[in-house]
Amino acid sequence: MPNTATSRRLALQQLTDSALPTGAFAHSFGFESYMERGLVHDEASFGSWLAAFLGQQLTYSDALAIRFLYEGHPVEELDELLTAQLLPRQIREASIKMGGRLLGIGAEVFPSPELDAYRAAVTTGRAAGHQPLAFAVVARSLEVPLGEALAAYLFAAVTSLTQNAVRAIPLGQNAGQRLLRNAHDGVAAAVERAGTLTPDDFGAISPGLEISQMRHEKQRARMFMS
Amino acid sequence: MGELQLRVALRGQRSVAVHQFHQGALRVLRPHYLDDSGQLGYVVVNPGGAYLDADLYVVDVEVEDGASLLLTTQSATKIYRTPGSFAEQRMSIRLGEGARLELAPDQLIAYREASYRQDTRISLHPSSSLVVSEIVTPGWSPDGTAFKYEELRLRTEIRVQDRAGGAGLLALDNVLIRPPSGDVTGLGFMEGRSHLGSLLVVDPRVDQALADELHSLAAPHDALAGVSLTATVGGTTGLVLRALSDNTEELNRLLGACTAHLRRHWYGQEPLNLRKY
Repeated sequence: MPNTATSRRLALQQLTDSALPTGAFAHSFGFESYMERGLVHDEASFGSWLAAFLGQQLTYSDALAIRFLYEGHPVEELDELLTAQLLPRQIREASIKMGGRLLGIGAEVFPSPELDAYRAAVTTGRAAGHQPLAFAVVARSLEVPLGEALAAYLFAAVTSLTQNAVRAIPLGQNAGQRLLRNAHDGVAAAVERAGTLTPDDFGAISPGLEISQMRHEKQRARMFMS
Repeated sequence: MGELQLRVALRGQRSVAVHQFHQGALRVLRPHYLDDSGQLGYVVVNPGGAYLDADLYVVDVEVEDGASLLLTTQSATKIYRTPGSFAEQRMSIRLGEGARLELAPDQLIAYREASYRQDTRISLHPSSSLVVSEIVTPGWSPDGTAFKYEELRLRTEIRVQDRAGGAGLLALDNVLIRPPSGDVTGLGFMEGRSHLGSLLVVDPRVDQALADELHSLAAPHDALAGVSLTATVGGTTGLVLRALSDNTEELNRLLGACTAHLRRHWYGQEPLNLRKY
């Protein structure tokens, strides 16, 4: 495939489309716990959670892992770090489950030697196969610049979470669109922040988010797997 | 500045210190046995009473095969002003085959304009048993408001030794609280609570049933708590409990209930009651 700007853009659009069948619709990444406690119940309160999730989890874990991969850190090392750092079990399993889907889709539509190597590491048990790394390996092989890749990844995550909130809370479709528009600045800030963090910052997730993700395991009635 | 080295080994039925070294502002009190289990107890003392600007504390602990160590502190670790710099503790822990370490320091208090980094690296055998409890308080300032410190960074890395001489990463627990960078008190962060407690357990006996039990033990307390399991590496698994509350005593009760359960269930020991000594 010729790596023209247009083909790169289309590839990125396909990879980050909310219709990409990675199973994102099944995961709240903890916001369902806040719903149960009555703390997330409308557009504004979901917006607060989304801002915290974007500024913390997506920045200090996903975005940083993507950046480190682009900077040449071995994928297996980053994969091990993610497995060790994602302490809430459901979040770790969500990352691996969605990562597995993305690795499969990537092999079908954007094959590359780097992707084959990561898939082989997963098949032989040397890696778990995490979503942000699967994305990063494909995006990098397509020569998508890091800044674009990060912004697209983060906005895709924000979009699927918002769609899930629209269904679960529920919110109106227009509220969902306002939330997405309001997340633009947060995504831009997260891309910038991810560029300045150090390896010591990797995986520094705020306690409240983690506790809610852990408590989700014990939640009786739930729509989401995380 | 301070440095402490401690190596504990099993001699007969009892664990004893086979190497001990300290210099600067760290030392240990005379060792003791809290019960007849043979578990050695050491209390770490910082005679200076606080961590200051650019202070560096290096602690090196090794528990050899089959030995058991309980490591506590004499009082809270207080971090005072560290303008333009930070105080730091680097702790390195190595547990041998069947070795056991209970690490139960008093709470950490970071005061106004304090920056603190705690870097803990733990290497253990798949058969080792590790229990670490920790409480971080917001360090109330003279005007009665909390979270006036600059930065708290508590990073713990746990690796499991394998036969090939390598060590797989089991858990990376990274807590970073930087009040000046934005609201750390609200939803998604401290959830309106002021104190953070955590319990880290690594033991081949850790399983979902234990996680469920600790979840139930935490439930009656006035705290927001969550429990989860790490992935299994080399045949051993970690359990992480985090809890947010409004005071040290409540978190001490919550964590105490959990460690008491482990002590009774796994070793037939009484709950830790350090204050009676």
